[in-house]
Amino acid sequence: MTDPTSKAATAAEIARAVSSGQAKALDVIEATLKRIDAAEPTVNAFTDVVADRARRRAREIDAGQHQGPLTGVPFAVKNLFDIKGLPTRAGSKINNDGPIAKRDGALVRRLEAAGAILVGGLNMGEYAYDFTGENAHYGPSRNPHDPTRMTGGSSGGSGAATAAGEVPLTLGSDTNGSIRVPSSLCGLFGLKPTYGRLSRAGSFPFVDAFDHLGPLARSTKDLALSFDAMQGWDPDDPVCTDRPADMTMLSLDEGIGGLRIGIAGDYFAKGGEPECFEAVATVAKALGATRTVVLPQAAAARAAAYVITAMEGAQLHLGRLRTRPQDFDGDTRERFMAGALLPGAWYVKAQRFRRQYRANVLKLFEEVDIVLAPATPCSAPRIGQTMMTLDGVELAVRANLGVYTQPISFIGLPVVAVPTRAPGKMPIGVQVIARPYNESAALRVAAHLEKQGVCVSTPA
Amino acid sequence: MADKPDIARWVDEEAKAIGLPIAPEYRANVIVNIERSLAIVQPLLAVELEDELTPLPVYRP
Repeated sequence: MTDPTSKAATAAEIARAVSSGQAKALDVIEATLKRIDAAEPTVNAFTDVVADRARRRAREIDAGQHQGPLTGVPFAVKNLFDIKGLPTRAGSKINNDGPIAKRDGALVRRLEAAGAILVGGLNMGEYAYDFTGENAHYGPSRNPHDPTRMTGGSSGGSGAATAAGEVPLTLGSDTNGSIRVPSSLCGLFGLKPTYGRLSRAGSFPFVDAFDHLGPLARSTKDLALSFDAMQGWDPDDPVCTDRPADMTMLSLDEGIGGLRIGIAGDYFAKGGEPECFEAVATVAKALGATRTVVLPQAAAARAAAYVITAMEGAQLHLGRLRTRPQDFDGDTRERFMAGALLPGAWYVKAQRFRRQYRANVLKLFEEVDIVLAPATPCSAPRIGQTMMTLDGVELAVRANLGVYTQPISFIGLPVVAVPTRAPGKMPIGVQVIARPYNESAALRVAAHLEKQGVCVSTPA
Repeated sequence: MADKPDIARWVDEEAKAIGLPIAPEYRANVIVNIERSLAIVQPLLAVELEDELTPLPVYRP
């Protein structure tokens, strides 16, 4: 059995050890805090560590309180989640002057109600408008598998903290790919649930039309355990579904029998480095998937997602762009400013098109249950790198790391990002995409790949 | 696009219209980002939509 105080321990292993009395929650927390101290100079994942709070909670757990499926599991959250007593930074300098959170975000409360212990807030790209994990105010989060490389973003600290083994479980947000991109670049399992499945109450918004929250971990079981603990209607988020929760742990080990699996062709089979298509081929082979399917008009979907993001994000921040432009990260400021100047006709067309695209993709999901696609067009670029060559074309890193994730979150489909890693190479992920509210199918596929040893996440 | 828009003018006039001051040191990069947006949006602009296709008033995935 894995030592529950080691960096290799998963959330499930820690919960089992603490619940059964084989380990003390306080020992797990002390070991976690020590690991954070040791790793931070290299990975720069945390902006806030709430050590006293975590120790207090651990003592309460050791005294028999707060028992649940995640008892004693340390976790950390992207710093756009409210943490009681702290400003909700959302990767910015400006928000440090804003209100102090009076209570924790909804998902933090739900994880703690299940026995987990919050240990801190995590670095992220400013206001989540980012695919790199870089941040001018707090420094870049660094990829634990090679600290000269990007974590991906915007949930860069979530990727770094999980991949470094600082904590087994983190939460991130994903508007256009911000859970799936760092999962891919850091070699993690990441779940972007169906739009509206998990409450966003008590988190700083970016683009209401696409904002999702979800977990990153080093095992599918940890994704399922935490996802199940976080589900449920929340009147504080008008988008949150009132469907009954789907307990994905119950079916996690059922295998892939009965699932029809397709491989995304056309748009998703070009425009990337060979390594991203090799990753899809490896996963497809392990699943016995041979059928190619086409998500129609995916390039237009990516364009529409880009427009809605640029315009909603800019509108949200317009007041701050007018009064405090000098306090923005230079890498987001001018993109937000440009977004404020785009024609309204583009926005409305993008929204109208979304209805058509959604209908066509849902039709495709009558023929298949799962679609496989690359998560990122390449493995982690170097920190500071602004341009990259994909398929012979020179493109901006920031705008293009999410080319394969954007057309999926655009219509809110659930996705599990699964890690692959060729010998001697950096990790790169694959998207396992399901129809709305069918997270359990995507998790079953991921669990099957993990069991086969095709997709494995090991802390650096 | 047949007539290439004057993006610098677009930025200056639109920023004035919405009351967004853009300092000289930011202006060049705002223009670059508008150019980038124009390139990225083309596949959407090329799509023909039926008149009946309205946005979903309450979005459900």
